[in-house]
Amino acid sequence: MSKEVELDCMGEACPVPLIKAEKALEKLDVGDILIVQIDHSCAMKNVPEWAREQGHNVELEEVDDGEWEVVIEKVK
Amino acid sequence: MGDQAQAGTGEGGIRRSARTRTSRKKKKNQIPLGILAFLVIIVIGILLNRFTNPRVALFWITGSTFGFILQRSRFCFTASMRDPYLTGSTSLTKSVLAAFAITTIGFTAIKYGAHIQGLPIPGQGYVVPFGLHTIVGGFLFGIGMVIAGGCASGTLMRVGEGFGMQFLSLFFFIVGSFLGAIHFGWWKLNFIVRSPSVFLPDVFGWIGAVIVQLLIIALLWIAADKWSKHKNAGGGH
Repeated sequence: MSKEVELDCMGEACPVPLIKAEKALEKLDVGDILIVQIDHSCAMKNVPEWAREQGHNVELEEVDDGEWEVVIEKVK
Repeated sequence: MGDQAQAGTGEGGIRRSARTRTSRKKKKNQIPLGILAFLVIIVIGILLNRFTNPRVALFWITGSTFGFILQRSRFCFTASMRDPYLTGSTSLTKSVLAAFAITTIGFTAIKYGAHIQGLPIPGQGYVVPFGLHTIVGGFLFGIGMVIAGGCASGTLMRVGEGFGMQFLSLFFFIVGSFLGAIHFGWWKLNFIVRSPSVFLPDVFGWIGAVIVQLLIIALLWIAADKWSKHKNAGGGH
């Protein structure tokens, strides 16, 4: 059974969500899902880009005006 | 390699339980507001042109345009310098370099145009002494912008987006600029004027300067490209 973990990064400026996501994803197992909640427009670009480059499955959803959820499925 | 094509928005590739899926509020259509803002910007431009002078109106229009492009493109000078180290991503680094290449050609054209007509070359006040102070200042600014979450333009842009934390950045950005402006004379006298200032066309000629600068930018581009491949091949860190 895979887990789903939510990571609240609301109000965190640019590199912080990325580093938090990096650390949180390290603790997860393959197949688990990490949901990073962000409201900083810069993180909405670099978090998905980083995760894709790492080879994970990534989805970006704008849940509200200026609020996004980056859904990362750990692949490896 | 970046497979940016799979920009998966709502294609449902990842199955999540309904519990964690945030129920999406129906978003308000922002297009009428956008059109209104656009009209307000134009009206203010016309008023500025009428009651102050055309220069102020021009600054208003170029400033608004620049802000809009910056926001929509997610262009970020901070990330262009930080992400190569943090994630190995150099896509923004390369776009900044591309912007430098374009402005190199554009500015040289403007300056050369003035030069061959025998007019004073515009913007020569920005050819400032280069030396150790440039490197120290750049390093300090680099630390500052990463902590603040944005450079000058990035901070202004995100304040406009309504990101609360950076109102604080903006406040101290103003305080810092103000202090810097007050004390600039002292720094200039003691550190800056002793360094040489170089205007590349004086050294290499007009064509030579463009070639040298574009060549340096091209080398940085190649280095950035190789860096991202190297970082990603090595499994991140």
